[in-house]
Amino acid sequence: MKKKVFKILAWGFATLTLIILCSYAYMNYLTKYKFIPKENEFTKRVAYIDPEKALLSEDFETCSDYIFDYYNPERATYSKEKNGLRKFILTHYKNKNYNDSGYLNIRFVINCNGETGRYIIHENDLDLEPKPFNKDLVNQLFDLTVQLKEWNPNVIRGKKRDSYMYISYRIENGEITQIIP
Amino acid sequence: MEKSLKLYLSILLVSILIGCQTNQEKAEKASKYGFLFYQGNPQHMNAFAYAVELDSTNAENWRELSVTYLKRGIPHEWKKYYDKAVEYDAKTWQPWRGYLYLWFYRDYKKAIVDFDASDTLTPNFIDAPQGHSVDYWRGIAYLGLKNYEKSNWYFEKHIKKETEDFGEDYVDLTAFLYNGIAYFEAENFEDALVNFDKQLKHGRNLSADAKYYKAQILKAENRIVESKAMIDSAIEDFNSGYYNHRPYVETLKQIYPEDLKNFKTLLNN
Repeated sequence: MKKKVFKILAWGFATLTLIILCSYAYMNYLTKYKFIPKENEFTKRVAYIDPEKALLSEDFETCSDYIFDYYNPERATYSKEKNGLRKFILTHYKNKNYNDSGYLNIRFVINCNGETGRYIIHENDLDLEPKPFNKDLVNQLFDLTVQLKEWNPNVIRGKKRDSYMYISYRIENGEITQIIP
Repeated sequence: MEKSLKLYLSILLVSILIGCQTNQEKAEKASKYGFLFYQGNPQHMNAFAYAVELDSTNAENWRELSVTYLKRGIPHEWKKYYDKAVEYDAKTWQPWRGYLYLWFYRDYKKAIVDFDASDTLTPNFIDAPQGHSVDYWRGIAYLGLKNYEKSNWYFEKHIKKETEDFGEDYVDLTAFLYNGIAYFEAENFEDALVNFDKQLKHGRNLSADAKYYKAQILKAENRIVESKAMIDSAIEDFNSGYYNHRPYVETLKQIYPEDLKNFKTLLNN
């Protein structure tokens, strides 16, 4: 009788182990091999900013290895709200006879202490096609964006977190007509 | 022996059936798998990129690839993928693109072009991307362009249709608010008040925005005491969370505490 119970338990254990191993192998197959495109495989998250390629990332530290990308502006906010952000940018920005039009987008990281770093810039025309802006305009808006220092960090599940953020400047003939989001 | 043979044949048959899936079916499996992951993660993106490799005509998968870039402020990548969605299913995704141009790029003109296109793409049907009719969205877009006459025309059309079909209490409160704001900006205070009052009537008398505009109208009519009471009520509503805002982006004509505070200071001087 004891032998029979032992045999059943052994078979049960062996079956369970096999199921777990097969599931693991199948999940591994799914994530690494099955649903992978032949060209341009994604190896990083879309939001990822490479610290090696980013601006002002030398002395910037994140609080953890995972940076959230939750973009609702009511979660990670500028300390003086959108109105304060807009007022600061528009009062300090000078159109030095620029004739550029398009979207100048600046993406960066806000760490859990509300500090910013790892900036990257995307320059596109009004049809959202890549097109470089006047260098002086880019430098001016980048400097102003960096000066927006006090940010409220994202709070997720009751804890302050590192998160990605972006500001998009819509520019028409050198004038800022919209600040998004 | 016979049993083993049956089992072997069954496994073989199942394998053949699985192997016989069309590319469309395989793409569907890939997209289902992709939806298991957070938008923008490599597993999510790879699954949809794989899906469009298998079936490049599936508009929804192109759209899913694009949305990640939209929310993360990477416009050129959003456009590259989203335009494919429109190419393969303009009826569904062109009005939606108008909605995205409107809010994520504040490109009112491009938004209107896409909303107008829906009139001919679906002539007997009023599209409603993100839950509002294209007429409602055109009302917003023309308000953004400061074309108040056209803004009111589309809002009136939207409100009339919703009221006829479902009743006035079914109309989204922001339709009254924005219709009122367009009248207010055109200095048609009478029609502005009609709309702000409807918003308050159907919204349990709670709206910092409607009250803020009403307070301004009262001030213009030199009814200062009533205006002060109205702005106090607006501040109370704002502090209770009853103000117009939307996820991901700032809404059009969004009000902030300092707007209310500044107006109150103006009344007290």
